[in-house]
Amino acid sequence: MKSATQAPQYRLQGAGLDLALPYLMLAPGLTIVLGVLVYPLWDGLRASTRAYRYGSPVADVGIQNYVRLWSDAQFLNALWVTVKFVALSVSVEAVLGFALALFCLREFRGIRLLRTVLIIPMVITPVVVAIVFRLIYASDAGMLTALSEAMGGGAVQILGNSLNAFIGLVVLDVWEWTPLMFLILLAGLQSLPHEPFEAARVDGAGAWRVFADLTFPMMRPVLAVAIVLRTIDAFGTFDQVFVLTRGGPGEATRLISIYGYDTAFKFQQTGYAAALFVTVGLVVLGLAFSAIRLLRRIDAS
Amino acid sequence: MTRSSRSRLTRRSVIKGGLGLALATTALTTLGLPMPAKAAGKKVIIGAFADGGLTPFKQKIIPQAKEAGFDIEFLEDEYGVTLEKWFADAQSGAGQYDLYLLDDPWVPQFGAANVLEDLGAEGVDGADKDWIVSMIDMGYWPPQEGPRVKGFEGAKPTLICVPFVGDLQTLTYRNDVYTDGAPKTWDEVIAKGKEGVAAGKIKYPVVFRGVSGNPIVTSWYPVFLSFGGSFFDDKWNPIFNSPEGKASADFFVGTMKQNAPSGVVEFDSDQEGAAILGGDAGAIIQYSGNALKADDPAQTKVAGKLDFGVVPKQEKAIAQMGIFIAGVPKSAPNKANAIEFLKWYTSADIQAKLSEAGSIPVKRSAFGIAKPGNRLIPIALQQLDAGALPRPRTPDWAKVEELLGIELNKALQAGSGGGASLDTAAKQVKDYLATAGYY
Repeated sequence: MKSATQAPQYRLQGAGLDLALPYLMLAPGLTIVLGVLVYPLWDGLRASTRAYRYGSPVADVGIQNYVRLWSDAQFLNALWVTVKFVALSVSVEAVLGFALALFCLREFRGIRLLRTVLIIPMVITPVVVAIVFRLIYASDAGMLTALSEAMGGGAVQILGNSLNAFIGLVVLDVWEWTPLMFLILLAGLQSLPHEPFEAARVDGAGAWRVFADLTFPMMRPVLAVAIVLRTIDAFGTFDQVFVLTRGGPGEATRLISIYGYDTAFKFQQTGYAAALFVTVGLVVLGLAFSAIRLLRRIDAS
Repeated sequence: MTRSSRSRLTRRSVIKGGLGLALATTALTTLGLPMPAKAAGKKVIIGAFADGGLTPFKQKIIPQAKEAGFDIEFLEDEYGVTLEKWFADAQSGAGQYDLYLLDDPWVPQFGAANVLEDLGAEGVDGADKDWIVSMIDMGYWPPQEGPRVKGFEGAKPTLICVPFVGDLQTLTYRNDVYTDGAPKTWDEVIAKGKEGVAAGKIKYPVVFRGVSGNPIVTSWYPVFLSFGGSFFDDKWNPIFNSPEGKASADFFVGTMKQNAPSGVVEFDSDQEGAAILGGDAGAIIQYSGNALKADDPAQTKVAGKLDFGVVPKQEKAIAQMGIFIAGVPKSAPNKANAIEFLKWYTSADIQAKLSEAGSIPVKRSAFGIAKPGNRLIPIALQQLDAGALPRPRTPDWAKVEELLGIELNKALQAGSGGGASLDTAAKQVKDYLATAGYY
């Protein structure tokens, strides 16, 4: 016997709902992805082949914007500064993060509190971190200068000197993002099987031998993932530089993100900026692919 | 059968749940929204960048505007982000603002993009003799005088902005260091400043902004003008690396740096203001933002010891003029109100009140009132009459300033090579403008 409530349900199914429902369910997500990811990407690519004047497209220029990039001294400088910044920051973060993870692998009183404290920098808003570091570095009223003057020294020049400002930026990044490395590597270390380590201990292997022959080789895939993630992220560093140095002094800390931002929004060279970001995107994509291939090789070995 | 009924149940519940959620969200959102407030007057949304020069306007004129029937919403942003934010708003037609209080070098960029209303056509009288001529001239695009960029050579100048708050560089100095009044020349600034340092009255003869880009160019500009430099010829060829320009740059990165705080390379207006208001520096060329604080004991340690004067000269005593200038975007949601507000605000009566409140007005009559609210105001008029020039009227000024600012900042860091830095910058500017189709 069919109840009155069953009939409309049947009609709903009979109308092709079974077939259409998965697509209907996918539609909102798909629309959002198309709207916020695919279309902007396509529009950005299209913009990169156009010349803009006073904020409006005036001509199609094909790949001219891409060609121009490689003779633009400011772009090349920004790319070089970015590569140096990423290489230095990520290397230091990887080493420090690994060391901290190894240390925090042990169980002792207060270790949970220590692990929590160590990840705090990562959860602070980057702009706030930059403001705090500015208060530390400022030569007129910064903490370092106050400390130096209290000890009879003079003003500490960080932001007014190219090399110091660059190192200061790296220090900021290391302070903020070493916790991410630490967290990923600690999780990796905790997931390693115990048996090989116990066997090594029984065989009388020392701490260094265990690290060199077991821990490091077994951690290489995790380390590679962590480095790839941080590298991609570090290429996009913007907030800290924007607040701390705006790319100065001179062009010493002018990362590609700052140069791209200025080009697009301050100088209104929309097409050229689009070409710049597409190029940087391709560079990062290339790095990511290389890293993935490296990972596969490591896995295979 | 069990599977089928569970499946039907799931779909139905999902659809019902989704609909329910949508309805509930709509209901909650509607209930949660504040009731539309009763209109308090003619709404005008003003966008401005944070600057001390606007304080009198905010404190004294906005309340009067409200009494006159305007409902003013004043939205402030940090200087570094306003240009891009407003340009995007105007170009996309987002309609977030009725009025932008622009920095005057941005007028060509907005003008060339054709995103601002023609205020002349809306009844704003640009020919009113009471305007400070050099200020109202900055509101026209293309400019009425001087070289024009390609594409606008034959275009009729249109009044797209009106001066809002006057501002220009003047000298602020310590009257206990420069006891004979305002120093007349740069050499006097340095020599007497050194005496002040030796006497323990100050720590540095001068202070200025050294940060790359706009800050350092702004600080160097009056030195450059006073040495007799010119920026472009009438074909947009950079000529700032002339012998006069190079001498000014060498003096700036050499002598001036040696007599400024050691960290001046990283100084922006905050540090610059702190040095003069905190009693450390002897003299400074600055816009009115910090100068307006000179008599307020809550904001300076040397109240009563700071006086104002015309900028020092080497050949001429010319300052840079940089005013707040108002434009109405074509996408303004309350366009008529904004234009009515501008007419009210730029009337001689309200300009007199602005002068009483302590801001530099934009109408000449307001300079002559019995009691201007700040003793800087008559000095500003003296400077205007002595000479004050705006920055070159090109939509590409931001890029030009960036290129020059980087090179000057590098030379400042080194403490030498100012002249050579201008040669490098001139080549970069020329190349850039060539790419942009100037020649």
